[in-house]
Amino acid sequence: MRILSVLLQVIIAVVIAPLVSGVIRKIKNNMRMRKGPGIVQPYFNLSKLFYKDEVVSRNTSWIFKITPYIVLSSTIAACFLVPFFTLGNSLPRVGDFLVLIFVFGIARFFLALAGLDAASAFGGMGSSREMFISALVEPVAILSAIVVSLNVGSTSLEAISGNLGGLTVSSVIATIALFTVLIAETSRIPVDNQETHLELTMIHEAMVLEYSGRSLAMIELASHIKQIIFFAIVANVIFPLGGCGIFMSFAFFLAKLLIISVIVAFIEISMAKMRLFRAVDFLGFSFVLSVMSLVAKTIGI
Amino acid sequence: MYLNIFLYGILLMTFSMVVSKRITALINSFGLQSFFLFLFTLCLAINQHHVELYVVAALLFFLKVILIPRFLRNIVSRIKVNENLGLFLNPLLSLISALGLIYLAYLFTRRIMPVDSFEGCSLIISLSVTLIGMFIMIFRQKALTQIIGLLVMENGLFLAAASVSGGMPFFVEIAIFFDVFVCVIILGVFVYKINTLFTHIDVDKLTELKG
Repeated sequence: MRILSVLLQVIIAVVIAPLVSGVIRKIKNNMRMRKGPGIVQPYFNLSKLFYKDEVVSRNTSWIFKITPYIVLSSTIAACFLVPFFTLGNSLPRVGDFLVLIFVFGIARFFLALAGLDAASAFGGMGSSREMFISALVEPVAILSAIVVSLNVGSTSLEAISGNLGGLTVSSVIATIALFTVLIAETSRIPVDNQETHLELTMIHEAMVLEYSGRSLAMIELASHIKQIIFFAIVANVIFPLGGCGIFMSFAFFLAKLLIISVIVAFIEISMAKMRLFRAVDFLGFSFVLSVMSLVAKTIGI
Repeated sequence: MYLNIFLYGILLMTFSMVVSKRITALINSFGLQSFFLFLFTLCLAINQHHVELYVVAALLFFLKVILIPRFLRNIVSRIKVNENLGLFLNPLLSLISALGLIYLAYLFTRRIMPVDSFEGCSLIISLSVTLIGMFIMIFRQKALTQIIGLLVMENGLFLAAASVSGGMPFFVEIAIFFDVFVCVIILGVFVYKINTLFTHIDVDKLTELKG
């Protein structure tokens, strides 16, 4: 029974993941007084890519071919660890917050290898930039994950998401740090830009430049899913789960996603993308935030 | 609980001073830090029913939250110097050094009192605020930041005295306040004179001959 409900929750999360990106894009366009595509556009993009032919360079190795499968499957595997909208709906004793961070690490590792594999100039540059950014993001993610877990007394996401009434200074600051991690990991504006394909600015897009057709669709779907996982974690730390029925909690989940989407969209339209070496300052700032949340934890607030 | 939050606010503002790159941001953070210090002292006064502490808190609010930041802003707008602080260390390295200074304060405090008590915590924070004030004085180029570093150090010392021993004797406290205020005014005038003489307030270049 539990297996079924876990499966159902993961399927729902995967299905609505592209919708979140569509909603963010729509909000951004509306704030800029543009019309923009509808909120279901990401589904159209994905289905179009799925039925297209694929072009693979002759000079690539097997890593290039298996990377989309690894990325998508590891991201979906990460879904099983996260309680999205009800408690008791993730696999028990399989993994915790830290495992989640390293499952994303697998996907990133293979993406970076695949970027180098085709030996194009952009791919290598994108890989090096992505690794540079992630080397700065990972300590922040782990440190704030540890602070949030210290507040609850357990590193399992189940316990963290069900921590009713645990809103302390340390958890709020750790959540702000996690939010900056979210921005960097989903390649949003102060660090990266999803919209542009300009050579000089892109980080994540440069890595996947060689991909086309079905492989590209898989990688894009994986990044949508990764985004919804981060949204759910950040939302559940601040607004814990539990205490209401399944339909109500699903409605709450959608509302939380909407709130975070509005915040993200607002940040995206009100800031300019930082230079790569300014991004170091930004991520250093978030590292200090996570250290400060640890300090707050030791003070006991 | 509230005391802890205000202590934490003081430390947070100190960090924002370490990363800030512009003079007005620095002054604003200093004002906020003093405001948190004022709230801390007020809470302490309410807890201990100390009349003298109320007076000290009022003086703190009047001098350090209102008067000194306004005076500093006035100087900044009058000398029309550019906003850049001129950093010897970039913000990230400064932050890491500040974390190191906190660790130093922790190591020192661990020897003399238990660090998980409230007094231990506040001694760590006040010591680290003092050390970071010194850091700001050393590693920033503009003369104005040295005034602010001095004020931050004074805030740290005041915090140490107030939290560990319930404040210094009343007259000493008053004397220190007026000392600090007069010192800031004299230094401010001094900075103004430096600016009219050298057309900049870069302490790094003061040794160059002007003729």
